[in-house]
Amino acid sequence: MPEQTALLSWIIRKAIRYLISGFIVLVIVFLVPRLMPGDPVRNLVGEDVWLSPATLQALRSEMGLDLPLNEQFIHYLLDLFSLNLGYSYHLNGPVLNILLGRIPWTLLLIGTSILAGACFGVIAGALTGWNPERWWARTLTGSSLLISSIPPYILGLAFLACFSFYLHLFPIKGLYDTPDIFSIIYHLTLPVLVLTLFYASRNLLIMRGSVISERGLLYPQCARALGIPRQIILKRHVAKNALLPVLTLIALDFGFLFSGALFIEIVFSLQGMGSLIYDAILLRDIPVLTGSFLVISVFVILANLSVDLISVLIDPRVRMGRE
Amino acid sequence: MNQRENITKKIKEPVLIIAISILLCFLLWSLVPQFFTSCDDHTRYKPYLYPSFLHPLGTDDIGHDILSLVIYSARISLIIAFTAGGLSIIIGVSIGIISGFFPGIIDDILMGLTDIVLIIPKIPVIILLAAITRPDLMLLILVLGLFYWETTARVVRSRVMQVSGAGYIQSARCLGFSSGWIMIHEILPVIYPVVLPKLMLVVAGASISEASLSFLGLSDPTMNSWGKMIADAFTHGGFIRGMWWWYTPPALCIVLMILSCVRIGMIWEQTGTETAFE
Amino acid sequence: MVKLSRLSMVVFTLLFLFIAVTVNCSAAEDKVLKIATVNDIKSPSLLGDYNTIIFSQISNPTLFQMNSNGKIIGQVVDSFEVSPDNTVWTFNIRPELYWSDRKPVTGEDIAYSINMYGKYGKSGRWLGEAITDTKVDGNKVILTLNKPYTNLDREFATMYGIVPKHVWEKIDNPVNFTSEGPYVGCGPFYMDKIDLTAGKIIFKKNPYWKGDAPYYDQVDISWFKNKDAASEALESGAMDTYYEYSSSYPYAAIDSLMSTGNFELLEKPTSGMTFLGFNMNKTPVSDINIRKAIASAINYPELVDISILGHGSVPNEGFVPTIMDGYVKTPQLKYSVDDAKKILADAGYKDSDNNGIVEGDDGKDIVLNFLSRSSFSREAELIQEYLKAAGLGSEIRSVEDNTWYELKDNYDYDITLDRTTPAGMIMHASLGTCYFDSRRTGGGVLHNVDDPVFLNLCDEILATRDQSKLTTYAQELQNYYAENLPGIALYWKNDVTPYNKAIKGWYSNPIYGILNQYTFTGVKPVV
Repeated sequence: MPEQTALLSWIIRKAIRYLISGFIVLVIVFLVPRLMPGDPVRNLVGEDVWLSPATLQALRSEMGLDLPLNEQFIHYLLDLFSLNLGYSYHLNGPVLNILLGRIPWTLLLIGTSILAGACFGVIAGALTGWNPERWWARTLTGSSLLISSIPPYILGLAFLACFSFYLHLFPIKGLYDTPDIFSIIYHLTLPVLVLTLFYASRNLLIMRGSVISERGLLYPQCARALGIPRQIILKRHVAKNALLPVLTLIALDFGFLFSGALFIEIVFSLQGMGSLIYDAILLRDIPVLTGSFLVISVFVILANLSVDLISVLIDPRVRMGRE
Repeated sequence: MNQRENITKKIKEPVLIIAISILLCFLLWSLVPQFFTSCDDHTRYKPYLYPSFLHPLGTDDIGHDILSLVIYSARISLIIAFTAGGLSIIIGVSIGIISGFFPGIIDDILMGLTDIVLIIPKIPVIILLAAITRPDLMLLILVLGLFYWETTARVVRSRVMQVSGAGYIQSARCLGFSSGWIMIHEILPVIYPVVLPKLMLVVAGASISEASLSFLGLSDPTMNSWGKMIADAFTHGGFIRGMWWWYTPPALCIVLMILSCVRIGMIWEQTGTETAFE
Repeated sequence: MVKLSRLSMVVFTLLFLFIAVTVNCSAAEDKVLKIATVNDIKSPSLLGDYNTIIFSQISNPTLFQMNSNGKIIGQVVDSFEVSPDNTVWTFNIRPELYWSDRKPVTGEDIAYSINMYGKYGKSGRWLGEAITDTKVDGNKVILTLNKPYTNLDREFATMYGIVPKHVWEKIDNPVNFTSEGPYVGCGPFYMDKIDLTAGKIIFKKNPYWKGDAPYYDQVDISWFKNKDAASEALESGAMDTYYEYSSSYPYAAIDSLMSTGNFELLEKPTSGMTFLGFNMNKTPVSDINIRKAIASAINYPELVDISILGHGSVPNEGFVPTIMDGYVKTPQLKYSVDDAKKILADAGYKDSDNNGIVEGDDGKDIVLNFLSRSSFSREAELIQEYLKAAGLGSEIRSVEDNTWYELKDNYDYDITLDRTTPAGMIMHASLGTCYFDSRRTGGGVLHNVDDPVFLNLCDEILATRDQSKLTTYAQELQNYYAENLPGIALYWKNDVTPYNKAIKGWYSNPIYGILNQYTFTGVKPVV
């Protein structure tokens, strides 16, 4: 019973902490785009179009930019309660709809890569960590080291140049040519491959590292001494405990899902959250920026909370030794 | 085997020696570039030249000798990576130590701060800051340094908390040593095996970020770095003209630097086996 | 057990991939023209998205258009009359224009479109203030304006495409309306679908178009996020031509493209230039001698070689390029470092400490505050070098566009690099005046000249439609530019449009390039 109440109070304390940070982030996410120099109204039209000062003023008040900041903040909070993320004048639509249009594609691209990278990385990492001296373990470790040391956009560029430009095996841009499943798969293969390699190699290295350190602890040695076969030790005992750091990372990956793989999107000309945010920065599209940052922050908070929960539930040592 | 012997044994590994020599080579390039190449990175020759004896890596779209660009760019790339990394570590370690040593309100506030930095979407905010200000080396380093410290802080904090309960710390406290003295003289030496690999990883991360920002055209165009070279190759026809000698060398340098940093960071990997009796 | 299921999973995935690849590699098309671009569409709004408006030239034409020589001719408008005091404009709408839903284009549509832009538009708001009365009389549309306007035909040659009244009058706030299509159009094609995820916009043949029948059934404009991907698409044959608003095909990619042997180049001079602008009210640049020295210090031939890879020429004195209607010939600009040094020396600038940089009135080295847009970083680097050779120091600040707008609006620079677009060059009093007139602020213009002589000249040009007077004024303007140097063009460049050799019939105008009716009714494969 005391352990349960302790757990409960721990969850509550964490939740409160995240709520407070969340609110502060809310304020930051509101302020930063509005404090940016540069005029959002100017970017509503092309560079060679002239707007009279009267038009500029009219547009500015339509966009609600001439209100004092505290009033804008109140509007912002009130809108949030009704799930209204604002209206983008640059993209001509409610921010929520714009986000909902992009999020599924980002989810598809990055979510698939995270999952594939997680599966491959964890399994391969556990195996290489358990047998680090074998030649295939060394090769895998070496190549993972190499891949995770390459900046992702360079990897993407290399793949694009090699497989699309020179070998003409894959298309050069877009999420699909015609909206059917084959076209989508065809177009997404290369970007997903690049991202998966990236995640998988990082996960492999970390899993390997933690399996190696777990291996050296007392309890697997005891199990070995007791005669339990190595494979079973790996699967039943060590892997579960070694999983923790990787799981932490994977959960965090999901949190940062929507920061989007901006560079992959640029290299492969894909339409996702990353380029939405990048364009919004260049155009000073304040509602879209605030909305996107908010969505990202919410996911990161959820991800962190789940990481804390997972670590407490999986590893009994954490439960005991926690503050 | 204790820590020291572990490390000494590892340093003799061949891969590690290669990693250290690569970093030393880059260091030399940044300190005395003129010893490695006769041209400098500002003189212009005929543009778009193929590699030749005079210009082993050809020239870029304006006519700079590419080999010299690679060598001279080492300076900025290294400065950014190590200064941002160092800044990051310093902030992370300070916050981690203070937070771990003084549980309670201070800990909660500092961890709350860490949470906020963790939650803010880094890449978009870095892009935003780079876009709205005049691109400046110091600013870039500051921004990169300010965003990567939170994992260091967390790791340091948990280690400090593990150690604070130890006997010798308690005795130091009883004997009246001030908290500050204890933190610096007793705790700091214990945490460096945790911090140093982190330093290397953060350096690698800063390097990737700098290269990525240059790719978007947001770094300082008056300062040559490897990331900027790749970005220039991309925007000035290097790719479409198939000038692999322009973009491959800087990419290779970035990868090698990151690889070396990571490999060096692996020295402090704990692979010793635990024993039931010390 | 585990191994078998894992293996079968891998095999299955590979099979799936294989099918996907082969299905997409074999594609049957009926006659589709494919255009590659880097102008991406951010939201599917016919009237609200910048690049969609540009592409809509094909489907929702403007009242007037520019022909390939830069002259304004009719498009939807057949002919027009202007009252002697320039306040009443009568447009005669071309007969035999039909919307893609079979209804004819009438004066009502024109009147509706213009007033809609005036009420809801962003760039068209001024129309709402200017137009006091609109009358429709059969195929005539008569606009009465609140003050004399001499260049309405020029204004209507860009941006304000006409839309059908019977469709749009039901829509609330048309400028913010988004829809993936189809949109009813009256050009040779109409906009069928804007597909943001696939990254392309599809135009289909207008079944009720009564002009020359286009060969193609469909036009696809696909946008790429980086130029190299677009170039690669062109080279591999996936695309037939390349388009970029107010820009040329990337010069660096031309060689590679030509080596495929499948392309020819349509090369035309353009009035889009990169130019060096001055803060006319700040020392030392306010001194005409400094500007003259700078004009001699720039190595124009090298810039033509490096920046535009030879696709252009050294500009002449003055600001107006050859291609523009109203061009007045002046001597060519000359690059001479010695001349530059002499001008500085004669004007009294000395280099007393022999460090290579002359000193200004305050005795300190002249180091010019050089504000540059990040897209011109190469030119900025070169110019810094040229200035140094002549004895003038400079410090480059390279910023992205929005930051640049703010800084230059506050005149926070000594010299700056900016660019003109063909549309911008004809705005205001035409001939580039919109870039310098200090009364027109904002956007990409410098508004750095407040000299009453210049401003009066602009006003006089705006007050008349008399061709002979306009010719005189053009001469005066060009001379003003040559003598006062508010801006120096770095080079005159050619816009290069590559097109598949197998297709002929391309027509290009200075503002919208190949996006015009002549192209889309005229292109067909070479038989």
